Amino acid sequence: MTISGVPKLPLFADYRPLPGTYDEFFEAPGQPRSNMAQLVRALDKVGQREFQKRQELANSAFLNAGVTFSVYSDERGGERVFPFDLIPRVITAEEWDRVERGLAQRVTALNLFLRDVYGPQKILSEDILPARLVLGSSGYLERLRGVAPPGGVYIHVAGIDLIRSPSGEFLVLEDNVRTPSGVSYVLENRGVMKRALPSVFKKLNVRSVDDYPTVLRDTLLESAPSASPPSPDSPVRAVVLTPGPFNSAYFEHSFLAGRMGCELAYASDLFVRDRKVYLKTTAGPQQIHVIYRRIDDAFLDPEFFRPDSLLGVAGLVSAYAAGNVTLANALGNGVADDKAVYPYVPDMIRFYLSEEPIIGQVQTYNLSRKQDLEYALGHLNELVVKAVDGSGGYGMLMGPTASESEIAEFRAKLEENPRGYIAQPRVELSAAPTWCETELAPRRVDLRPFVLTGKKTWVLPGGLCRVALEKNSYVVNSSQGGGSKDTWVLGAST
Amino acid sequence: MISRVADSCFWLFRYMERAESCARLAATNRMLVLDAEHDRAERWKPVIVVLGEQARFEELVGQERYHDDDDAEEYLTWNQKNPVSIRSSLYWARENARQIREVISREMWETLNTSWQWLTSKAAQREYRGDRSQFYRRIRSLCAEFGGISESTMLHEEPLDFMLLGTVLERANQTARLMDVKHHRLGGRETLETPWQSAQWVSQLKLCAAEESFLKRHRAAPTGRRVVEFLLRDPSFPRSVLHCFERAELLLRRIEAATARVAATDSLKALQTMVAHLRQAKISDVLHAGLHEELTRVVDTTALVCDHLQRDFLNPIDAPELEPAAPAAARQSQSQSTSSSSSSSSEQSQSQG
Repeated sequence: MTISGVPKLPLFADYRPLPGTYDEFFEAPGQPRSNMAQLVRALDKVGQREFQKRQELANSAFLNAGVTFSVYSDERGGERVFPFDLIPRVITAEEWDRVERGLAQRVTALNLFLRDVYGPQKILSEDILPARLVLGSSGYLERLRGVAPPGGVYIHVAGIDLIRSPSGEFLVLEDNVRTPSGVSYVLENRGVMKRALPSVFKKLNVRSVDDYPTVLRDTLLESAPSASPPSPDSPVRAVVLTPGPFNSAYFEHSFLAGRMGCELAYASDLFVRDRKVYLKTTAGPQQIHVIYRRIDDAFLDPEFFRPDSLLGVAGLVSAYAAGNVTLANALGNGVADDKAVYPYVPDMIRFYLSEEPIIGQVQTYNLSRKQDLEYALGHLNELVVKAVDGSGGYGMLMGPTASESEIAEFRAKLEENPRGYIAQPRVELSAAPTWCETELAPRRVDLRPFVLTGKKTWVLPGGLCRVALEKNSYVVNSSQGGGSKDTWVLGAST
Repeated sequence: MISRVADSCFWLFRYMERAESCARLAATNRMLVLDAEHDRAERWKPVIVVLGEQARFEELVGQERYHDDDDAEEYLTWNQKNPVSIRSSLYWARENARQIREVISREMWETLNTSWQWLTSKAAQREYRGDRSQFYRRIRSLCAEFGGISESTMLHEEPLDFMLLGTVLERANQTARLMDVKHHRLGGRETLETPWQSAQWVSQLKLCAAEESFLKRHRAAPTGRRVVEFLLRDPSFPRSVLHCFERAELLLRRIEAATARVAATDSLKALQTMVAHLRQAKISDVLHAGLHEELTRVVDTTALVCDHLQRDFLNPIDAPELEPAAPAAARQSQSQSTSSSSSSSSEQSQSQG
């Protein structure tokens, strides 16, 4: 009932799924998937007008809480709110069970791969992966071969990007095992969701995401070097290392430090003496054992990487190599999420674990292979081309929507440096109903779950669901106009 | 705690205190200048001078504009080139808060952030144009709300101690500066109290938000001697110079205990010297020798303590001793330069004027 007496318009009254695409909510127009029916009914009841109000409430909640990412050009202190869509994305308990096992399997294999590559290199000598491809990766750090991180853990935090194919199957699109970001939005989105739509939220049995900071802290502390055993008067001390407030993910760095109850340090707050790392405090220097670093390898230590750089902590790598400090994630992980290595991850799983991959992945053309390159050059207008070390949606070609000149530009790039790129067919990412100013419309989504590994591996039930807010867009990155949704992983009982 | 973080705590509260003080100053002066006794051409000059903004104001606005309420208030409230305008102070307060969000409570951040969103909104502009007294009152309320939330949500330990240290040092500084300007207008040493002078002392008290407290203390008309004594060293008035320095001393002792110092820092010694001096000074001597000299000493002491704080706690030199709490003697031999090149605090220090 509404005050004006005008009948309330059900939220999904005008919603039409995108043809040829898996819709997260609807099997066919007006026909919700069986496990979505309850949610669709609850949202329908809210009605369009009320929903719009709640959406606006959510927007102002983010602004007031200062949940922002930084951009350089904005005059409002250089911060922008990451657009949030109030329609949740839902994953059933059965679906999640498979995803969870598949992610743990994949991250375990990637970690074993790193241990191997920076050790005996069995996978290369047995010719499972081409040695030239791996050792030629820009993320591979030959100088660190033989340096084993504490507990053999390289990937303490992984963000694995998943998409859903038109048949509804989850596929891995990308691995992020260097400094994946976005988990703070998962937690913040949930908070705002509970405030904006409590009546809908409580109808479903949604698993909590609030444990993440606690598990991350435990993961970091249990990964401390064993070489310097802590004593009662000097407990293990961990910090989050940030590039500073101008970094686009600064909010997240500060958020995680706050929620873990540990300190947020700039590189200039740290120094190395006798291959040990110290924090400059008001009480004098204090030793640090674990650094959750959100700075790229190349800017961590000018002594090791770039003598010309003023950024970073001089001597940090020597402290790491001496086993006096844990870096999370470890150094040199870029070789594992190199996009040219990605096609071989299923082989890694078979090689190290003697298992079949639980989650599939997207067919990929390895352009350092001649026949793949030729095929790609002939079909650029159908393919997506990505730089092997790129991220954030930068430096990629969307063949089907690209202009002639963009295609010509990439053709030249590919011919000049085929090792620098991969090509994939454009996958019809699944779409979810999304509030677009005045109505619901299908928009494409992906999902980045987060996987933590210390003494064991743990997957956060949920993840950052990113949504391409532009009509017909396939690019979900926040730097490219993407937004996010709260992801509801349902408990087993529903 | 991290030295850089302590520095941000300190400055966050200094900027909040500055915003509050500037809002009070502007609101009070708007009323005072309505009185006929005022020199019309110069109505805003003392306020601009007190903030150390004379040169910039004359360059950006014009030396013939001191009489113009709108020009002066715009400069004090909104001007982004004025480092001590209300807008600038709140901007820098928020920037400092943003850099230590994991240290301050979430409620503190949200209060400050919401205040900033409001200040930069059309609603704030409307209120500024439509009801200026209410606008300035709101600024003071926002600052007070922030302070109250801080004390009720932060752990009462080192970070909050650095914050409050920022507040009390800023207050001591403001009170001294306010006294100095009025004192100049009264023409130095005082002998007889004319009605005009009495009125001036009342407005002096108003500028320092001290009128009510003064009357409770004295139940008598303000004379120069009483007002000076009250503002300089009333033991309980929250803005008296002595009260602020005594609190600063207390806070610094707590900080030294928390950071396990074996010997008193230079910061503490400088404070103790000033506190001892204020306690034993005779007001008649102060007035005789010149109030201006006394107030200059207060302002200089604040600056000196801030310099020492930098080296003792907030921005230790790049290659510190490995022993925690190196003896003070060893520290004294370190660089005497007051403006460090690395941190943002040198930039901030400049805006003390």
